[in-house]
Amino acid sequence: MASRVVVALRVKATPERAFEAFTAEIGAWWRPNGLFAFTPREPGVLSFEDLGEAGRRLIETRAGGKVFEIGRVTVWEPGARLVVGWRQATFAPDMATEVEVTFEAVGDGETRVTVIHAGWDSVPQAHVARHGFPLAVFQMRHAEWWQALLKRLERHLA
Amino acid sequence: MAAHPPLSSAVVYRDPKAALRFLEEAFGFELTLLIEDADGNLAHSQMSWNGGVVMVGNEWTDQHRSPASIGGLMTQTVHIQIPEGEGTVDAHCERARKAGAVIVAEPETQFYGDRTYRCKDPEGHVWTVSQTVAATDPADWEAKTGLKTPVFRT
Repeated sequence: MASRVVVALRVKATPERAFEAFTAEIGAWWRPNGLFAFTPREPGVLSFEDLGEAGRRLIETRAGGKVFEIGRVTVWEPGARLVVGWRQATFAPDMATEVEVTFEAVGDGETRVTVIHAGWDSVPQAHVARHGFPLAVFQMRHAEWWQALLKRLERHLA
Repeated sequence: MAAHPPLSSAVVYRDPKAALRFLEEAFGFELTLLIEDADGNLAHSQMSWNGGVVMVGNEWTDQHRSPASIGGLMTQTVHIQIPEGEGTVDAHCERARKAGAVIVAEPETQFYGDRTYRCKDPEGHVWTVSQTVAATDPADWEAKTGLKTPVFRT
């Protein structure tokens, strides 16, 4: 997982509040994007599901109740850091990406939320998830999407 | 983060990742976007400061060169204007010096009412830094320097 997209934004909230909004309230600010759909069917609502001793996972739930597991949470540090796997339904077993989100207090009650999305180079350019885009173009589009999503998170926190 | 402003600069470096670290340490710029290729090389990046944006990139064509590759020459400089009440030019200069900037011109108050300094970053880009410290107008400038000001819109 060498290739990375890094996007950062300051939000007016404490790290604890920003973490809570990013995780527990992801369904409120998250919006799907046709270029980066998790499944070929209609998009659903994102949530982090607590599996008890089995940990946590990020899922997309469609209107009819069907659940797609986007990835398992591997790091869960409220107010500080989150790492979760990120797969689309069409990925082959050797394809995987990972999202790391950090929450850093930067003064004046503000928090820098940084999203690091790594591993898109594991998905070949010819694969349907890449839409034929060269890596640099695909990652730029993906970064723009994360920027738009973080702007929505910022508004959600306002 | 502010929306991308209508005008911004793309600054070219041989080692753009080192530049990202320097620009944060010296000037307090914040990284808002970084894209890396499969080998971990920087493909694109943006930093933000007070609503302004600079893009930090590598020598991606034969025409894009860092001053470090062409004997210290440059064809443009980037200007930092510190808003009133958000720190001073002198404190900005000391922070930059501590981060390894070479101070080309120490802080000095200019005839047009701004206090300024200039520094070079590790690859030789010159950055000018300024803050308005006194209200002046074209009549003051002419009295002090003889310069005419044919266009002045505020």
